[in-house]
Amino acid sequence: MDKETLITQLREIVKPYAKNEEALLNINENTDFVNDLKINSANLVDVILDVEEQFNIVIDNESMERMLNVKSAIEIIEAKLGAQ
Amino acid sequence: MIGNDIIDLNLACQESNWQRKGYLSKIFTATEQEMICHASIPSDMVWLLWSCKEAAYKIVNRVTNIRTYNPAKFSCTLSDNKEGAACGNVSYEACTYSFISRRNDNCIHTVAVSHDIFLDHLDIYTGSSLPVHLFSDKSLIKNQDGVPYLLNRCTYSPVPVSISHHGNYVGWVQKKAILTCAENATYRP
Repeated sequence: MDKETLITQLREIVKPYAKNEEALLNINENTDFVNDLKINSANLVDVILDVEEQFNIVIDNESMERMLNVKSAIEIIEAKLGAQ
Repeated sequence: MIGNDIIDLNLACQESNWQRKGYLSKIFTATEQEMICHASIPSDMVWLLWSCKEAAYKIVNRVTNIRTYNPAKFSCTLSDNKEGAACGNVSYEACTYSFISRRNDNCIHTVAVSHDIFLDHLDIYTGSSLPVHLFSDKSLIKNQDGVPYLLNRCTYSPVPVSISHHGNYVGWVQKKAILTCAENATYRP
């Protein structure tokens, strides 16, 4: 799966929780879930659960620690998919 | 060091479905999940514990300048919880942070401190807008990491504050007895 496809999928996942529509529209590898998209920290767990469901992976606590931006999310998803 | 977190309970109820499968186990320890399970109003316990973790996280983030997301690593213990007031502590790695929390029908406001002694020396404000009266003679600034400080316009001494917004509410906490310009002029230590 290429990066663009992953980012498009992530955009759909974060859409219900993102409060900054402009940042959502311009989502890219450097987008921060909290600082840019203004996702509430209590909703970050929803993003993580949605990513787990969508990609059929399990995100352990160690990976979750880094799930604060698109770049880390992509790295984590790719690593988990590669390990399957 | 101080950290605070405010939760607009009506908004939290709209924004988060904590009953979603997997939600609680991702962010709460096994003991905390039991506390939620046995609470008379489980959703209140969810948001009380969550606000404690967030308040303690703000202290840790302030000290380390490192952002992480691992709420389950912040382990809460309640020593008292009745009539809208709670207190206890949050452990994270080798450190323990005491907290106090107040709740009304619409919001929960929790303040955590790095040392117990600070608990007696705090100005805590819970309201619907920034408490401008608390910094009329000071400037509210943020450092490069986004951490807020109050800067005394006379002495330029920075005083750490912690600010939290959620929905209709603003939580604010700062160390008490900040000298104003006038007080400072006559102050002799």
